[in-house]
Amino acid sequence: MNNKGGSKIIAMYWFVILMIVAGGIFVMVSSFYNHPYDIREIEGEIMINNIANCLSYEGKLNSELFDEEGFSQEFSENFLENCHLNFEVEESLNEEVQYYFEIDFYKSENLEISTFNIFKGNLNLVAGYEIQEEKEYEREVKGVEDSFFSLDEKGEELYLIKILTIIKKTEKNVK
Amino acid sequence: MFKKRVKKGAILMENVVFIILNILFLSILILFLLKQGQGAALLEQSYAKQIALLIDSAEPGMTMILDMSKAKDLAEKNGLEFKDIVINTDNIITVRLSESGGYSYSYFKDVDVSLYPDNSNPEDIDSYVIKINEYK
Repeated sequence: MNNKGGSKIIAMYWFVILMIVAGGIFVMVSSFYNHPYDIREIEGEIMINNIANCLSYEGKLNSELFDEEGFSQEFSENFLENCHLNFEVEESLNEEVQYYFEIDFYKSENLEISTFNIFKGNLNLVAGYEIQEEKEYEREVKGVEDSFFSLDEKGEELYLIKILTIIKKTEKNVK
Repeated sequence: MFKKRVKKGAILMENVVFIILNILFLSILILFLLKQGQGAALLEQSYAKQIALLIDSAEPGMTMILDMSKAKDLAEKNGLEFKDIVINTDNIITVRLSESGGYSYSYFKDVDVSLYPDNSNPEDIDSYVIKINEYK
């Protein structure tokens, strides 16, 4: 009689443990699947590739990037059209633009001071990127940086080109 | 002697019930896990983001084929036609796998894109063709 009572208690205890385990799994799985996939880093890398392909081909900078006076201001102003990028998608028309990028050109003899730079998109995202190290803001925006060397159009001067892309799209990528 | 047999039989029965309940419990748990990964909302998001990334990384002239068999099964179960599940309007990809749902994601590449079901095998159409035509 005592043994039977004991085994019943053990069985009950076993089911309580199972319930706790099931509850834990349920909470973990739900929280995992409720979080959206964060693809902003991949998007940023793809944007860098697009920009790099537009700026340089076979190791030489795009000839349209220069005019008689050096770097072309006109090319810079129409960079989005020239490089076939569209930041004004309908999704973001009511809100702010969700993208930002910055390109810095450095001459090989002076890698400290950039000789020319181009930036487009929402400038406000830069502040979000700079304070990303603080935990509170780390998910606000995602930034990706990359650089490459390229010769100028004549193949005479070597440039280091640094590209930074920042993407917000917080509500689509972070919960 | 007889009493002992009854007691042994009762213990065996209790154990069998206990094991069956355990198996039932684990089966429900596994079914729950499998079902969680195949929800319409999750698939819509996954396909919309995949298509947007593919377009962003493609160049004009490229044609890509994306396997969407899971999306097809779910869409048909929810009474939607496969040809209507992916919509591309003004740089926004929308994937819809249920009457009420739908997930949109934008791409930044300024290209003209054609999206349609892959009819190369008419008996089994479960892929989508993503054709990058030219810059806008």
